[in-house]
Amino acid sequence: MKILKEFVSRFGARINLNEKLVVKKGNRYFLLNEKLKNLIGKDFFYAGIYLGKAKNGKFFPSFNLLSTIAQEKANKIFVDKRSEWLFICGRDIFKRGITNVVGSKRKGDYTLVLNQYGECLGFGRIIHNLYEIVEGVAVKNISDLGDFLRREKR
Amino acid sequence: MSSKEFFVNRYAMLGWKYEDVELKPAIRINSVNAREEEVVRRLQSLSVELEKIPFLEKGYWVSRSEFSVGATTEYLLGYYSIQEAASQIPATLFTNLKDKIVLDACAAPGGKTVQLADLMGNTGAIIALDVKLQRLTALSNQLERCHVKNAIVYNLDARYASKLGMRFDCILLDVPCSGNFSTDKEWFKRRTIKDVEANAKSQKEILSEAVKVLKDDGEIVYSTCSLEPEENELNIDWAVKNLNLQVEKINCYGEPSPTKIFGKNLDDQVENCRRIWPGKTQGFFVCKLKRDVGVR
Repeated sequence: MKILKEFVSRFGARINLNEKLVVKKGNRYFLLNEKLKNLIGKDFFYAGIYLGKAKNGKFFPSFNLLSTIAQEKANKIFVDKRSEWLFICGRDIFKRGITNVVGSKRKGDYTLVLNQYGECLGFGRIIHNLYEIVEGVAVKNISDLGDFLRREKR
Repeated sequence: MSSKEFFVNRYAMLGWKYEDVELKPAIRINSVNAREEEVVRRLQSLSVELEKIPFLEKGYWVSRSEFSVGATTEYLLGYYSIQEAASQIPATLFTNLKDKIVLDACAAPGGKTVQLADLMGNTGAIIALDVKLQRLTALSNQLERCHVKNAIVYNLDARYASKLGMRFDCILLDVPCSGNFSTDKEWFKRRTIKDVEANAKSQKEILSEAVKVLKDDGEIVYSTCSLEPEENELNIDWAVKNLNLQVEKINCYGEPSPTKIFGKNLDDQVENCRRIWPGKTQGFFVCKLKRDVGVR
């Protein structure tokens, strides 16, 4: 759980997860509800809400977790329609595509990437202070929803 | 006689004249994640032309799209699933799914599991099984993409479902089958009657196991995308006679199943099954079963 909490904190956010309902299978974390908790057997493959996986000391979040963080006070950038699709295709975010910033603008921080509807598309790392940069790549893509399509091809 | 002639003659004996079909892709709105009108509006703004499927509550045919509807933000956010029209029928046939314990016995790749979760409003629990480990990854991806919260997935053969030590209110048996030519252009070249018979045998085993884990007042929905009676009406006739099941009347797209097949008279209840010949949808078969309590 520590690795998960640390990951969430990198967005300047906190989420309340009932730790009694979090189960680990291998390196993957799942959040159950009471009903699932009572029913689950030890040999399950997937259960409840997938939160993400830990690998080599790094945490790889699920999109469910990112959406949950996006509902809280957290670092977020909102992007225009063109940047939305480019981001989903694995590209970085250019300064000109950012329509609004909430939370940190500081280089090195993680930020969620949201579209015009406030829907979470993934996350990235701010690579230039957003209060300084005028043009060019501002946020480096770390994970985006297009991963669902790329997984099918692997 | 070619394999195609053999099967086409069988279809003629069942009252259907073979014709080539071109299927339209279909989607189903995941209403637990998004409002239907909003999803339709957003897809239309991308110049996707949709046509409401008259016999489905949340289904639309994609009449025209310049790109794959599996590559939109709305799809990736789990607002809709790509699911062939006929295959959207089985999950809708349960009487009431809210708060129930549901078994999806042959779940991968997960289209119907997601639909069950949507119909349940993420209440209750779905136990989703599949025998093939590599297919569980596809299933898990679907569950994550569509924000399903009430499922537990196991790598387990449906024929051993009783190992779970649970009993279920509702059981979906969308069993592995021989498929049909409308979704597989090579179908007639690849399939033989021996394949059909082998599938029919394992389907009977799955049905038998399902009855063991069904609550007394529970419901089974059985479906295949096969056109072959051995996997459909003949299996259900066998289940009625050997597993103490009765076939419930259902109200859905499709025609009543024949009760006289290749010279064999089946139980009258088999008429309550629905057979869907390829045309507007792929070929399909579906029925609903309950324990026979002796009152019809």
